[in-house]
Amino acid sequence: MAGMSQETGQELRRIVRTNEEIKRVVATAFKINLMAMNAIFLAKRAGQSALGFGVLSNELRRFAIDLQKQMSLLREMTYGSVATVTAMVKQARLNRVLERARKESSGIGRSLIDEFLRTRHNVAFSRHNEQINSLNRRLSQMIADTTQLVELGSVLARSAKIEAAYGGAFSGALMQVSSDFERTIDAIQRSLESLNKQQDANP
Amino acid sequence: MKTARVIYEDGSHKWIAIVRDPNRPDYLIDTNEYLVVDNDDAILLDPGGSEIFPAVFSALSTEFDPRRISKLFASHQDPDIISSLSLWLEFNPQIKCYVSWLWSSFVPHFGGDRDTFVTMPDGGVDIVVGGQRLQAIPAHYLHSSGNFHLYDPKAKILFSGDVGAALLPPGEDTLFVEDFNRHIRHAEGFHRRWMGSEKAKRDWCSRVSQLDIEMMCPQHGAIYRGEQVRRFIDWFAQLEIGVVKG
Repeated sequence: MAGMSQETGQELRRIVRTNEEIKRVVATAFKINLMAMNAIFLAKRAGQSALGFGVLSNELRRFAIDLQKQMSLLREMTYGSVATVTAMVKQARLNRVLERARKESSGIGRSLIDEFLRTRHNVAFSRHNEQINSLNRRLSQMIADTTQLVELGSVLARSAKIEAAYGGAFSGALMQVSSDFERTIDAIQRSLESLNKQQDANP
Repeated sequence: MKTARVIYEDGSHKWIAIVRDPNRPDYLIDTNEYLVVDNDDAILLDPGGSEIFPAVFSALSTEFDPRRISKLFASHQDPDIISSLSLWLEFNPQIKCYVSWLWSSFVPHFGGDRDTFVTMPDGGVDIVVGGQRLQAIPAHYLHSSGNFHLYDPKAKILFSGDVGAALLPPGEDTLFVEDFNRHIRHAEGFHRRWMGSEKAKRDWCSRVSQLDIEMMCPQHGAIYRGEQVRRFIDWFAQLEIGVVKG
């Protein structure tokens, strides 16, 4: 019984960590969106010499929007996990109290609690456990999808860097913007790696 | 484990006091719970906090089948009164919890849903248990702003919530008040500090003076009997309340 509540406590802490990491990625995705808008304006100003860069900037903006959508789905999912784990924590606490009541009771009281623990309580707990496992599987899948998306972003950022070299008089400014993209996407990749590790550590 | 003591019995009408847990940790205030049984039906008064649920449940089930408790009465909203609500609901999801309208959206934080609560208007309400009609008596601001006591005209017992409560030291924690003068010293500080409204106190004293009471059962401490009830009401009427010591 104590193990049960320890596990649910750990699960809750893990979800909080995941949520914090997701918040970090959401903030960065928003930054990329703004950076991509600036890059589009810069490419327009640079005109003919930055046509390729302009195309890539548009792609990066689309990437930022997709990433934001993906992150909001992830947040919804962690919210669902928090609700389920909270119900499990409550259930585990209830179980603890009932276990104490069982020890103190005799006669009808004891047989009532025995029957209760045998049926409804354990069923409820295993149902919550199944829900958590399913949420975790979906979360892992979504992190894997996001990692793939971010890899695309990384390729776009590298290509933008190459295109910047052909930007003529704007080359320096374009190089600066594309380096910023690269650094920011690297930061997202690190966050996703950390999310992955948290998922892998999940028993 | 607490002890279930039958304090009144007349045929199928009974009052059972669930009292004194020698294993209670000293950081939890001691509470009394009362079960009023009439035929096959029962109401549990101030069922207590979730931490003491095991002690209450086990003691109660020595005298009565807990599944047959159809009603809970919460004199007010405090955790030592009703935080065990969700546990009682586990055993009987149909159980009804009587609570002041004032707390009807606060107490559900302890459990229950829309169908669980029967809200009591400020003027009080009758609650039927088995074939017996009990009266929820207003005791607002004593100490909670939405507060009720419960009077049983058949048994002539008043459940008085925190009014009459005493924090008894070990060795003096008898079920019934033995020596009023000695006992009341343990009630004085509590009433001075916890009861905040002089007007509410006067109203309550005048209201309960009109009732025929043979036993007054508080949520903490010992039960007043016979003449001690009148002495308590007089003592309380004279007591200066709403005072912070020092």
